[in-house]
Amino acid sequence: MSDTLTLDSTLIAAVLATLLPFASFVLIMVFTRNHRRLSAGLSIGAITVSLISAVFLLVCHWHLQTPLQYFGRWVVSGDIVIPYGFLLDPVSLLMLTVVAAISFLVQGYSLGYMADDKGFSRYYAFMSLFAWAMLNLTIAPTLFQLYIFWELVGLSSYLLIGFWYEKFSASQAGKKAFVMTRLGDVAFFLGLLLALVHLGNLNILELNSPRVAAQMSPTLITVSALLIFGGIIGKSAQFPLMTWLPDAMEGPTPVSALLHSATMVAAGVFLFCRLFPFFSQSAVAMGVFLAIGTITMLLSSTMAMVSRDIKQVWAYSTISQLGFMIMGLAAGSFFAGMFHLTTHAGFKALLFLCAGVFIHALGTNDIFEISRLGGRRLKVPTVCMAIAAAALAGLPPFSGFFSKEVILAALAELDNPIWLVAGLLGAFLTAYYTFRLIFILVVPDQSEPRQPDDSHGHAGYWQMGGPLIVLATVTVLLGFFQGPLENFFGNHICSVSAHTGSHGWLPYIAIATAASGLILAWVEFGRRNSARVGFVERIGWLYNLFSERWYMDRFYRRFVDVVIYRIISGLCTQNDNRVIDAGLDALSKDAVQSGRFVSELHLSMIQYRLLAIFVVVALLALYFFF
Amino acid sequence: MEFTGFPYLTAILISCIVGLVVIILIPGQRQVQIKWVSAVFSGITLLLSIYLFFAYDKSRGGLQFVETYRWVKTPGITYFNAADGFNLPMLLLTGIVFFTGVLTMWELDKRVKEFFAFYFLLVTGVFGLFMSMDLFFIFVWYDVSLFPMYLLIAVWGTTRKQYAAMKLTLYLLAGSALVLPAIVFLYAKSGLNTFDITVLMQPGTFTAAEQKFAFILLYIGFGILAAVWPFHTWSPVGHVAAPNGVSMLHAGVLMKIGAFGILRVGIFLCPQGWQYWAQLMAVLAVIGIVYGAFVGLSQTDLKYVIGYSSVSHMGIVGLGLATVSVDGLNGAVFQMFAHGVMTALLFSAVGYIYDRTHTKVIAELGGLSHVMPVASAFFIIAALASMGIPCLATFWGELMVFIAAFKTYPLGGVLAVCALVISALFMLRVVQHTFYGPRKEQYAQLADVPFDLGLPRIILLVVLVVFGLYPSLMFDMIETASIPFINGLP
Repeated sequence: MSDTLTLDSTLIAAVLATLLPFASFVLIMVFTRNHRRLSAGLSIGAITVSLISAVFLLVCHWHLQTPLQYFGRWVVSGDIVIPYGFLLDPVSLLMLTVVAAISFLVQGYSLGYMADDKGFSRYYAFMSLFAWAMLNLTIAPTLFQLYIFWELVGLSSYLLIGFWYEKFSASQAGKKAFVMTRLGDVAFFLGLLLALVHLGNLNILELNSPRVAAQMSPTLITVSALLIFGGIIGKSAQFPLMTWLPDAMEGPTPVSALLHSATMVAAGVFLFCRLFPFFSQSAVAMGVFLAIGTITMLLSSTMAMVSRDIKQVWAYSTISQLGFMIMGLAAGSFFAGMFHLTTHAGFKALLFLCAGVFIHALGTNDIFEISRLGGRRLKVPTVCMAIAAAALAGLPPFSGFFSKEVILAALAELDNPIWLVAGLLGAFLTAYYTFRLIFILVVPDQSEPRQPDDSHGHAGYWQMGGPLIVLATVTVLLGFFQGPLENFFGNHICSVSAHTGSHGWLPYIAIATAASGLILAWVEFGRRNSARVGFVERIGWLYNLFSERWYMDRFYRRFVDVVIYRIISGLCTQNDNRVIDAGLDALSKDAVQSGRFVSELHLSMIQYRLLAIFVVVALLALYFFF
Repeated sequence: MEFTGFPYLTAILISCIVGLVVIILIPGQRQVQIKWVSAVFSGITLLLSIYLFFAYDKSRGGLQFVETYRWVKTPGITYFNAADGFNLPMLLLTGIVFFTGVLTMWELDKRVKEFFAFYFLLVTGVFGLFMSMDLFFIFVWYDVSLFPMYLLIAVWGTTRKQYAAMKLTLYLLAGSALVLPAIVFLYAKSGLNTFDITVLMQPGTFTAAEQKFAFILLYIGFGILAAVWPFHTWSPVGHVAAPNGVSMLHAGVLMKIGAFGILRVGIFLCPQGWQYWAQLMAVLAVIGIVYGAFVGLSQTDLKYVIGYSSVSHMGIVGLGLATVSVDGLNGAVFQMFAHGVMTALLFSAVGYIYDRTHTKVIAELGGLSHVMPVASAFFIIAALASMGIPCLATFWGELMVFIAAFKTYPLGGVLAVCALVISALFMLRVVQHTFYGPRKEQYAQLADVPFDLGLPRIILLVVLVVFGLYPSLMFDMIETASIPFINGLP
């Protein structure tokens, strides 16, 4: 592996994988905005090459022993050096492949989904930008580069969430996503500066090495870990900055698929994986992360239980699964987080893409409406969605089962059993709300008259169907690659992993939990003559609490309106107008008036002028003569 | 007369002055000719400034392209122009904004001749100030650049133009009333009988007390022009009232004169005074950053928003200068350049929109992306730059300043970084309400920007992106001046 030729081909592949989407972004924006086919071709061509290069890298370096690094000079200012480079290790290699693969599938799917959109070229340009940002984030060898592309990922999400900008709700959602993640990014940036000031550089490998402990006190490590985690809270929609993600579904559905699986929100968890050894040096910080992950997971599960909007349910489930990954990582298992991130990317993309087919065909997001219009007759998406839902609920043999089990095992290792109980509760709720949706969709509602089905077989159905089948296959098979993947990571960071497999009973408990959630959903929504009302909906205040997202949104809106706009901004503006400006205007008015006063003196009374001249001359004479 | 090689710096001034004379000689009704002449001569200055930027020998550093001519011997006034790592970015910025400003005003039809004449006069002063190494000339150029501003706003302006022009002029004259005594004081105290900055900046010329006294005068005097809080209120009002090409110069270049004056005169001559007052500078700068962002949040006029964002951004420049470090100086000068280009692009984009819609009130606009996607894209990209998105030039200036500030003034650095959220909020708000939303009937028939009118915006955009993707182009230049300067500090 060490011979020059291989290294060179590695570098070329890395460059191809990461830079081509940017080229396609620029080309589309500048030249091919009015050529729809060309734009899509450029974008998909670029991501195809990226995918091939990523897979090539993964295969080439499957037995990688030491991480490979490449640096090029980018920015040098004083003693601050920000190189542009590549860091290839199992974490980045796997993530690179996942990102490229999901982007590729989503872009292919969009050919059908976005076919009639007038912003087709713009869409593909933004998609390329998004892919570029995320791919470069993945291979970043320094936190600086990671931060830069982290911001660009945020920007591309903003552009894509607000893609249908004529809708007020879309532009509002884009703005909300950007500002809320920015809030987290500020913390991230400060944490990064703190580390920079004490370490002198931000090379990720050096940050992760145990030597850091010698240069930073434990308190400093904790503070900077917590600050950096702020960025993860924003990007991965953790408590308390989680409310932007459900709104983000205002974008086109393929965008949601991308956003919720391999990019944007995945970036947060990826950062956690990236800095896992650094974070795990601080037990306090890890405890906080664990708590935040747990709160997030439970809160968002409850929200998903009452939503009627198909994309919203999956959005809440994303938040909850991200919380789950954070829990696994914070419990000390690197592999748990990384593995669940990978499997989740597959089945969550699948869930959204299936939802997209329903929305595209039936023109509604409401699950009851989709059911009434006969959504179940779209066979491919229905079956695929059921598979993905089973994976999400953690049922064997689908991929989600394996990765969830790893996380639960990590939680079981902890001294305090409460985390495991919370994890199981989350798994139960997940199974419940997932199959609530599936049953509503699949089981025909007897109480309503059947609608004739005429919306079948529309254009682009098979363009969209292809990626679904690929992803469904992945979802079915990926779980069985747990062993090889563990080996892949094994010689890297997994020494920290707590996964020992000593809890033989755990898989059964996990299956039982998921199954009981499924059964509850079946009792309420699936069986013949069921009322199709969940137990939460029967309790008024609980329903309100859940459907209002625990009143978090309302609180934020009031906070921004009252505190930021009215009080602080209003006061500053008033200060500008009433104090600074008014003071100066008064001053100038006084100046003008005193001038006028003096000039009137001069105009009217000539004897005073003579007197003044006399006095001045007299004084001067006195001065000169004596 | 001592010239080393072709006098490129003087050539810039001469092409401005020749352009001015030619414009005066052309009869006023030949508007197209006047515009072409303006474009050609401003283009020459742009080419010259680009040439200088790349011809400067970075490995050698120091002052290059030196031109000296002892003008008045007794008081020691020298016509002394030179280029170094600090003023070359400013010269390049002036060239870019000058040329694109002329192109932005291509559609002007009111008193074209007078407009471009004053425009050229103003820019001559700006160029002269940036390249001069002689205190006397700096002061003269400073006043040359102030006086046409009054007329440009009062005659060609729009909203409350008389008030704005008067306010701006009074403020800036107050500034020069502080700068002049400081210069005279330094001249008198040195006893060297020279206005030459390179001579006066030798260590030991001034005592610490003298430096402290002179620096605060210079800081406030030039600081008024750099919109240092609380002397900033002239600037948003002036931005709003000025015609767009003038707003571009005003926010893009004129405010930089203030910051550059602090650097070239204040910091160069009074380094100890600088270190003494640095904390005050940092406090005012941080207040400016946060305050500007918050005031910008409640503005209803498109140009007011940009005006307050400029206050906030100039605060970042001030914070960089206040850190007394290489990174801080690098960041500050880079930010001066990047902010100049960015605001020029913002005003240029607003100019196109205002000329078509005849309103700058955000609530009356909306849905413009439907009818003029390209014109909107220019504004949106500039707005993103203003929010500090990576890969656009402003990001790097902010990054360096924040790093430096975080080392020197942790609390100030944290506050300044937090203001990023607010500036994102207000810029996105403007973008949302101006360009997004449903198509509005009254704007449905407006045309998008054609290529020729889009040219100035394309140039500015390309500059933003080039320096955003490869900022070393600029940092390497600034470093040739900042590292020796900081290392030479007592």
